[in-house]
Amino acid sequence: MNRNKWMALLSVAVILSFVLSACGQAATPTAAPQPAATTAPAQPVATTAPAKPTEPPKPASKYTEAPMLAELSKAGKLPPVDQRVSEEPLLIKPIEEIGQYGGTWRRAWKGPADFHAYGRLNYEPILRWPRDPKDPILPGLAKKWEFSSDGKSLTLYFRKGLKWSDGQPWTVDDIIFWWEDIEQNKDLTNAPHAEWVVNGKPMTLKKVDDYTIQYNFDGPNGLVLRMLAFHGNQWPLNFERFGAFAPAHYLKQFHPKYNTAIKDYKQFNEKADDLNPERPAMTPWTVSQYKAGDAKLIASRNPYYWKVDEKGQQLPYIDTIELSLVENNDAVAAKALSCEIDMQFRSLDLKKFPLFKENEAKCGYRVFKWANAQGTALALWPNQSYAEDPVLRDILQNKDFRIALSYAIDRKKINSIAYLDQGVIRSEMVTPDSAFYVPEVENLYTDYDPKKAAEYLDKAGLKMGPDGKVRLRPDGKPLELTIETERTGADVDALQLIVETWNAVGVKTALKTMNRDAFWPRATGNQVQISVWSTDRGLEPFVDPIYIFPFDERSWMAPDYGIYYKTAGAKGIKPTGKLAEAQALFDQFKATVDPAKQLEIGKQLIKMSVEEVWTLQTVGMTPVPTVVKNNFRNVPEKYTADWIFMAPGNLDPSHFFFKK
Amino acid sequence: MITFIVRRLLAMIPTLLLVSILTFIIIELPPGDFMTQLAANVGTSGSSMDQAAVENLQRQYGLDKPAVIRYLTWISGFPRGDFGYSLDWKAPVRDLIGGRLGMTLLLSIISLGIMWVVALPIGIYSATRQYSLGDNLLTLLGFLGLSVPEFVLALIYLFVGIFVFNISVMGLFSSEMESAAWSPAKVADMAKHLIPPAIILGVGGMAQLIRIMRGSLLEILGQQYITTARAKGLKESVVINKYAVRVAINPLISVMGMQLPNLINGAVVLGMVLALPTIGPLFVRALLSQDQYLAGTMLLFLSLMLMLGNLLADVALAWADPRIRLE
Repeated sequence: MNRNKWMALLSVAVILSFVLSACGQAATPTAAPQPAATTAPAQPVATTAPAKPTEPPKPASKYTEAPMLAELSKAGKLPPVDQRVSEEPLLIKPIEEIGQYGGTWRRAWKGPADFHAYGRLNYEPILRWPRDPKDPILPGLAKKWEFSSDGKSLTLYFRKGLKWSDGQPWTVDDIIFWWEDIEQNKDLTNAPHAEWVVNGKPMTLKKVDDYTIQYNFDGPNGLVLRMLAFHGNQWPLNFERFGAFAPAHYLKQFHPKYNTAIKDYKQFNEKADDLNPERPAMTPWTVSQYKAGDAKLIASRNPYYWKVDEKGQQLPYIDTIELSLVENNDAVAAKALSCEIDMQFRSLDLKKFPLFKENEAKCGYRVFKWANAQGTALALWPNQSYAEDPVLRDILQNKDFRIALSYAIDRKKINSIAYLDQGVIRSEMVTPDSAFYVPEVENLYTDYDPKKAAEYLDKAGLKMGPDGKVRLRPDGKPLELTIETERTGADVDALQLIVETWNAVGVKTALKTMNRDAFWPRATGNQVQISVWSTDRGLEPFVDPIYIFPFDERSWMAPDYGIYYKTAGAKGIKPTGKLAEAQALFDQFKATVDPAKQLEIGKQLIKMSVEEVWTLQTVGMTPVPTVVKNNFRNVPEKYTADWIFMAPGNLDPSHFFFKK
Repeated sequence: MITFIVRRLLAMIPTLLLVSILTFIIIELPPGDFMTQLAANVGTSGSSMDQAAVENLQRQYGLDKPAVIRYLTWISGFPRGDFGYSLDWKAPVRDLIGGRLGMTLLLSIISLGIMWVVALPIGIYSATRQYSLGDNLLTLLGFLGLSVPEFVLALIYLFVGIFVFNISVMGLFSSEMESAAWSPAKVADMAKHLIPPAIILGVGGMAQLIRIMRGSLLEILGQQYITTARAKGLKESVVINKYAVRVAINPLISVMGMQLPNLINGAVVLGMVLALPTIGPLFVRALLSQDQYLAGTMLLFLSLMLMLGNLLADVALAWADPRIRLE
């Protein structure tokens, strides 16, 4: 009804302008959409026109667009903006203020292997992570969703009129194409990702209409909303296959199933890649100029982007993104120091923070210290499923022994050796602004107290040997441990310190460093006694809970128990005790779609993992320097960056802008 | 002359084949391949890639085949201009290296040019004014140039450029010029970015050339025909430039062939430090990520460049020194 009224008013205005210009007056015709202009003369309202001669010209459309697009749409090369933003565009509330169009956002990246550099700016999933991690998950491409009462079926309602960046309609067929021809195609995806499989059965999809789809699972799927906000992103179809939909109309021509002229999947892999400029996307910017090895990747605004601000301006504000290819973090820093970066959060090292700070005035930027959602920058995992030496495994499984090890770490010294005293001593895998944070275990067993360590070692039955230096195992052999790591630089110094303090309490420790290539298969293959890594995902640990309990082969507190869990008992070793309990708890977490219940179970798991000392944490939450030009706005000064949240993707980069 | 060049070119083929086999073996040596590397990278970024997934990808990209087969497939593509596929960049190797090889060559050639233009006059000056203040000063500078590695110079240049002069020193273009169309301004911008690295790259070789030129010229100047020329009353400039330098320059040309490997190596290192689009950064990354065909092809082309450089030096020497017979 409103629409009709609009049309009538517009017609009036147009006819009025005709009449006026006929009278020889200087009248500017309004930029009315073409349909209105052509139908106007046919309408018998000419007589009423003079009745309202002071009527101001109405704006032609509900939404406005960037000048570069307005030109194209005026020239008839693009449909009007109202048709492009979809019928139900998503309204973005600004962090600071409503923005202005224009500008090029310059930053640096390290090539396709650094795909996060591009992918996180173009984070555009089906559902969306909130800006505040304590908030519930937000609508994205889907405007709403509902679970069936038994939690087995999820219905997603998408925005009507969504379009791919090439103007083709986006429909749920794009999800079905991804599910049937990518995710379930063994040549492209080895096995469907665990989140789409419940009780060993892959989900089934039911198309209700072009904009409504039902995901049906064998049992309640408590993870699916998180996964739609996380994997829902379309990047990178790359080797990781993280998508949850794909442009069927474009990709079918390269898919051997639809194009029999094509024999293998090599071309499909290339064409499906996020960095292929031809591939349509749903993201604020799409790659417009890039081929492998180019010094610059240029992405331009997507004319069909489906988000608007409070003034009805179509997003994004910024015209283009320019990623300059550099070799390493040092080169990124050099770019920042020569003022060639407008805003960047990745690849800037903490140790260069003072340098960036010195350049603030010269380059006209601010350097923010964003918090890292990092449980610990240096974690050690005593391997409780270590199989090569059963006696040692029993020792590693002894909670008192792990507590002793924790007391024998001088975290304060580690913080100053390796992290410029910027880290926080802590023992919890999640950070304080996570919904799952349990304040009372934040600092459990984190004091450096060799005396207590000795007490706990005695309690664990590991008596000091006759030489007074090395403790003896129950089988009479000296207690010897090996830490293996692929860390380099200051982290190795920190580990060396741990070796010293452990030796001092009678646990003979050796440190073995190697490159990641050699380390990874050993650690995931259950061959390492104590593994070292840094942990992230401190805001939302349950998307990929590898650091909380034995979830899969990457859970180095017990890789083989993790494999057992992942393969539902087909491979690996069956866990016992608290570790088995934790796995059962996570089963419950997955089996409920009630957020309150998930929160309760999640906190219980976090608490258990700290109390049982499955991970020896040192210091965490080291800040990440973030360089932001003074006129680059809508970037908050305080923010916790987590990669699961696609930081800074959940801040809506589409509404970042250059203030004039 | 032509038969000599053709013969030398033909002789390169077996050498290159040998080099290609050696390269391939060296790249094969470290355990694992691109996909096992990828598994570690993917594992840290939120999804797990188990052995089955790794094997699946290895099969798809032919990494499961024996090394001999992979070598033969790779090398047999060369006549067709197919150098294999880069897994890291997901693009044919040919598309990746073309421009970068050219840039490496350009940098090396500019550097070589600068070396000669600077070293010759200085060498002559030093030889003709042996043990003068100027000679001693230049000798000192020469030893400094010989002993300071180019990456150190590059780092100093970076520091001074950024913090003292506040200019853009990284890359090949200033950021505002990078995506502009070719114009005199852009060429000037490129020269501004290319010449300092070329000088840095040439400093070591320059010092070497100065020393050789000085020594060689000193030796020539003591010979009898120079005395004769002087006795006949020829102008000193003619004696030096026409008769002495003409002969003294020969060792420099032979040295050129030996300097090329240094230049090309240096261009790789310098490309890393100054983020130049030479093959340096690409090469190191390919080695680290075990992007086999990319690394192998680049190594092979580097060797080819060396061999061609040596051939050129030989030809130049033959042309400059009539005493040399090619047959």
